[in-house]
Amino acid sequence: MSFFKEKSVFTRRQFVKGSGMLVAAAVLTGVFAKFGFDAFAASDDYIEKRIAGMYSLDESMAIRKSHENPEIIQIYKEYLSPGEVKPVSEKAHHLLHTRYGKDIPDLMEHLKHDPTEAA
Amino acid sequence: MSDVTGKVLKHGEQTRTMHWVHLVCFIILGLTGIGFYFDVMGISNLFGGPANASLVHRWAGLVFTAGPAIYILLNFERFSKFADTISTFTKDDVGWLKTMGGYIPFLKTEEIPPQDKYNAGQKLLGGLIIVGCLLMILTGFPMWLWRHLVPPAFLAVCYSVHFWVAVILILAIAGHFFLAAIHPKSRVEFSSMMLDGYIDAEISAHHNEKWFAELEKSQ
Repeated sequence: MSFFKEKSVFTRRQFVKGSGMLVAAAVLTGVFAKFGFDAFAASDDYIEKRIAGMYSLDESMAIRKSHENPEIIQIYKEYLSPGEVKPVSEKAHHLLHTRYGKDIPDLMEHLKHDPTEAA
Repeated sequence: MSDVTGKVLKHGEQTRTMHWVHLVCFIILGLTGIGFYFDVMGISNLFGGPANASLVHRWAGLVFTAGPAIYILLNFERFSKFADTISTFTKDDVGWLKTMGGYIPFLKTEEIPPQDKYNAGQKLLGGLIIVGCLLMILTGFPMWLWRHLVPPAFLAVCYSVHFWVAVILILAIAGHFFLAAIHPKSRVEFSSMMLDGYIDAEISAHHNEKWFAELEKSQ
């Protein structure tokens, strides 16, 4: 029985095509990586602009801290902690703090008994 | 059929090993990918649950990348010959595509043009697999290693490309499997790539006439 086998002849054309395919793969990798790095840079740029925008918006506000807000101070003095400004008072805790997730069923039960309490 | 007798070594040992490694990885990657993309617990559980399936997918992806890379480095000559064959299209290849090599029942043809070591369909599949695998690798690793660093928009592109290229590759490989292992006209190819590398010279002279003529001349 005769056996046929390819002879090891490596032509210039084959070398160029093999190398070309690897170069094309490297170029595609490079283009894709550039796309990724550009997207990363654009995202970073957006985040920095957003931070700058938030700071500039904050700086232009007349009242920049909630505990210095006259309306909040008045609400505490007149209702949440009568006669004084006491953050996280019992009433403030119940009215201003909410519950979520697995605490919701308890809250629903609680509201059934005391629907006047907001949270 | 011609009256040629003997055997032809069509695929060398390292090519067959690489094909096996890629095949096993592709099946694992396809199954795990389908399992956790479509949330098919039956498939994910074969790999120890969704979390383990995800781990298996990533490490199989690494072997899927390293296998051909090592093969190309160690067999650059063989790879270059493959690259040369699949990127060479002549009027014979166009003629094969017009008749689809006689594989499609309603596309009857009298004469199928002589083919190289790979027919025009195999050449297209070779190109598709190289480009497809490269895209899978390029989109896969950022999803694994840099998912917390890259912007969500870039990650979304990676997910979409990864998914749609996977769909195309799975369909293409299903067709490849059907023609190479099941179709009566071409299933003799199966043992050549999956077992000993040899194919009957008579079949090669018929299916790969141009390549076989060169082989005969060079003996």
